[in-house]
Amino acid sequence: MKYIGTGMTSLTNRQLAAGKGTFVADYKPEGMLHMAVLRSPYASARIRSIDTKAAEQMPGVVYVITGQEVAANMNPIFEAYDTAAMGAKGVKWYALVPERVRFVGECVAAVVAEDKWTARAAADAIEVDYEELQPVTDPEKAMEPGAPLVEPEWGDNILVTRDFRSGDPDKAFAEADGTISGVVKQHRYTGAAIEPRAYLANYDPYQDLLTFHASTQNPHPMRVFLAETLGIPETSIRVIQPHVGGGFGLKIPTFQEEPLLAYLARKLQRPIRFVAERTEDLLAGGHAREERLYYEVAYKKDGTVTGLRAKVIADVGAPSALCGWGQSFVTSYCIPTCYKIPNNRVQLFSVVTNKCPWNAYRGYGKEAASFMMDRIMDNVARETGLDRAEVRLRNYIQPHEFPYSQVSGAMLDSGDYPKALRKVLDMIDYENFPAMQAAARKEGRYLGIGIGQELTPEGCSMPRSTLLGGWDGCTVRVNPSGQVTILTGVTSPGSGNETAIAQIVADELGVSIDHIKVIQGDTDTCPYGLGNYSSRSIIMGGSAAKVAANELREKMLKVASKLLEVAPDDVDAEDDKFFLKGAPTRFVTFKEVASTVYRDCHGKAAFDVEPGLEATRYFKHPNVYHQPDTQGRFSSYPSWPNQAVAIIVEVDPETGKFKIVRYCAVHDSGVVINPLLAEANLHGGFVQGIGGAAFEHLVYDESGQLLTTTFMDYTCPTAVDVPSFEVAHQETPSPFTPLGTKGVGESGVTGPLGGLCSAIENALADRNVRLTELPLTPSRVWEAISAAQGGNR
Amino acid sequence: MISREYEFHAPKTLNEALSLLEKSGGNAKLIAGGMSLVPMMTLGLAHPDAVISLNKVPGLDGVKEDGGVLAIGAMTRHHVLKTNPLIAQHAPLLAEAAKYVGDVQVRHRGTLGGVLVHADPAADYLPVCLALGAQIKLQSAKGVRTVEARDFFKDIMTTSIEDGEILVEVRVPKLPAGSGSSYQRLHRVEGNYAIVNAAAVVEPGKKKGRVALGGVGPTPVMIDVSAHIASGVSDDALRRVSDAAFAAAENAYGDLNGDAKYKQAMARVYAQRVVRAAAAQAQ
Repeated sequence: MKYIGTGMTSLTNRQLAAGKGTFVADYKPEGMLHMAVLRSPYASARIRSIDTKAAEQMPGVVYVITGQEVAANMNPIFEAYDTAAMGAKGVKWYALVPERVRFVGECVAAVVAEDKWTARAAADAIEVDYEELQPVTDPEKAMEPGAPLVEPEWGDNILVTRDFRSGDPDKAFAEADGTISGVVKQHRYTGAAIEPRAYLANYDPYQDLLTFHASTQNPHPMRVFLAETLGIPETSIRVIQPHVGGGFGLKIPTFQEEPLLAYLARKLQRPIRFVAERTEDLLAGGHAREERLYYEVAYKKDGTVTGLRAKVIADVGAPSALCGWGQSFVTSYCIPTCYKIPNNRVQLFSVVTNKCPWNAYRGYGKEAASFMMDRIMDNVARETGLDRAEVRLRNYIQPHEFPYSQVSGAMLDSGDYPKALRKVLDMIDYENFPAMQAAARKEGRYLGIGIGQELTPEGCSMPRSTLLGGWDGCTVRVNPSGQVTILTGVTSPGSGNETAIAQIVADELGVSIDHIKVIQGDTDTCPYGLGNYSSRSIIMGGSAAKVAANELREKMLKVASKLLEVAPDDVDAEDDKFFLKGAPTRFVTFKEVASTVYRDCHGKAAFDVEPGLEATRYFKHPNVYHQPDTQGRFSSYPSWPNQAVAIIVEVDPETGKFKIVRYCAVHDSGVVINPLLAEANLHGGFVQGIGGAAFEHLVYDESGQLLTTTFMDYTCPTAVDVPSFEVAHQETPSPFTPLGTKGVGESGVTGPLGGLCSAIENALADRNVRLTELPLTPSRVWEAISAAQGGNR
Repeated sequence: MISREYEFHAPKTLNEALSLLEKSGGNAKLIAGGMSLVPMMTLGLAHPDAVISLNKVPGLDGVKEDGGVLAIGAMTRHHVLKTNPLIAQHAPLLAEAAKYVGDVQVRHRGTLGGVLVHADPAADYLPVCLALGAQIKLQSAKGVRTVEARDFFKDIMTTSIEDGEILVEVRVPKLPAGSGSSYQRLHRVEGNYAIVNAAAVVEPGKKKGRVALGGVGPTPVMIDVSAHIASGVSDDALRRVSDAAFAAAENAYGDLNGDAKYKQAMARVYAQRVVRAAAAQAQ
């Protein structure tokens, strides 16, 4: 059988469904200690002094550490994203803050104790004398002259700016039939993995080896970061990633707790574990998304958009070593997404404030660009009187126009946006919706339909990055008994890429998947690789596996052909056999060929092949351009999956509450290896997208206190709050990868943002409601209805 | 994480529980289902020196008929309220409200008494108990006293229960046959607290009725709507009910779910909805 294209359940199901997975918190080595962290209660403050006496005297406390010791003995945390290479400002961020705290939740001191309760109680007994400083918590206020500075030595609060231009926007606006200006506001939210951040550090002084079990997405980069931050050799560290209970980008290094725990384990020479509490993760586990996008568009009365000026203002929180701020760059990079607008100016202002730093979160800034373009297309439709779908169809980049270079330098690989939109409109019966809407209205029900268009570039590759690279490695090993071991440089946060990679290798070698074992997430056994992010595990990891398996296939075909006494070109492989093409009854088994290579390398059949059946190969994506052009632009995303969604909602205009009646999506991530797991991934993306669009919100007050520190306040939807999803795939293969894959992991989070705004406005079309800001909570929708009615209710 | 040490007691009789409570000098907390107390302790918002469990005390749970009244033990779990036939027959509002509390696990742990003493302003049972005219029975070493539900809630998470007292029973008058009642709530996700909730009772003949609202101020509020509906439950009557609800919600305050203005507006919407539904049911 062929495996690629087959929707099979994950190879990890048996273990995980039985509750027999192994997560960091399941490891309890003998003599294990626990670390608890004392966090800053202030958004901005100077540390005058720290008194650790009371904590040190508590029974069971082993060690208390503050920022002074950290700064004297460790380097600043190595940057996940090379700020200098990106023309951005950086900071020296230590594992514990020695002098000045810049957000509530920043690590100030830590306690190591015999049990976790003692560690917590002792951390709380540390007395810190703070001098409170004026915080800045609004990005536009932070841009004003005289604003309090998050980093005084910077001179301002701007981390990076970008300014991309194409064509002649001024001329386009002068010659337009009409112009529209507006803003869309995306609020601060984040991913909420079931498993919080968790690490276990264990140092063996006799081997000089620190074994670091981490709920991480990137074992090899993490080893680099730990080595550089601690100033020790990479070879003295082994990072192991056990099962991970959700990542979504937020388990990408580098957090303060990681090098801190590694340092303490080496110093105390005892195993130490840190498992974050939910509140700690909400405070300091990485935030994302908070952006305001101001726009002006010029259009012709036929609905063609001829000019766009966009200004992105991103509140990336306090500067850190985390890679999250890059999301603001990616928002500006994606504009104007899948639309062909000849004249553009796109500006980015990435602004720091006294809030939690961003870390990567599924979507990575792409969602905001698509959200803004969806709002723009709906507004152009309203002003021109054209249908919302028609306006999109008139502005799409056409399938024959790829590769297509956008204003930012982004090089879009391929796609068929009109076909996907038409298909999803068919699925939801867009044509007959007005009749359905009118019938419902007669019963007093307010139905609306909306369109969301998502463009989710993947395979992120940034210049000089330790973390973000457009390549990865894979080892495929055929064992003497004919079983196959795959070792990957990519990792799985629970999303199933191990299964898809096994499917790719199974097809390439013609071996049944039952004979394959996949090993991931261990720097001592797996080939060097960059782990999991940017939907790269199949794009990069799957391609590397394909290339490595192909090398073994060629070798085994050669041996098989000798055994069959035919030419290698006449032999094919499938179902654990090498057989003569056209005469499948003439075969040798896969096992026999493997055995021949290992056991008979001086014999006739294997005489002229190299012994062993193991190949490590690396795949580098060809659609990346790092040589900057005259505007300083470069192309960092090689793969461009996309999706059209159509959503029907029912709105209660009295309360502002809505429910999703139907949710249809047509997704194009190129060739799909495993449709079942791809769809499962999409379902998760849709729920996170709906969560972001309507429920989840990290709310700060003006003093920089986070008000949403538990799931009671940080409202996540659950299965009962979301609809059933109807998904269809469209396959526009990537021209650049061996299998045509494009990556699916991040997709799904974007469609609900514009799609729900569009649907709610449509339901309330006769009231002329305008939605520009997320989340779409009942009170916000109600306020928009009130505002449309002149505020009189 | 609860990092402070505390004593834990699991008395086997009510007298033992009362004497432990007495001895603690006000620094003990009673625990029933623990669905509110444990999160409060985890977040460091409550740090009792002692926790006294009522789970091993017999006789504090279950629904019994006592003439025209349902006597509901304080330790009765939400799941029981949701499924008990006596509740369904004589106080269906309680069953309606119980459906919304938390999730399946919470409904099997959490208790009626626990919700009432915790007194979250948006808790489901608060307006229901007001609308049903429930009485709260409190016992201390000194004896028993009974408080009307409408007098029980004093402020946000503050009740008239005193040190040394245990809420032992909720006494709910049976609704007369032919009554109509309705409980509805506005919430963002299943299992979360309501933003605004409302319970209405319309008496047989549809001339008299009352509506109680939660989430629109520090304590639930009740409105007698008899004057508005006396000459029929017309659109005009419902508009007057709405206006009365709006006025009664004058102490609404804003939170992450919406500002005071929104809460007050929702009082209007939900009062009207529950009265309309209850009237439709009444005979």
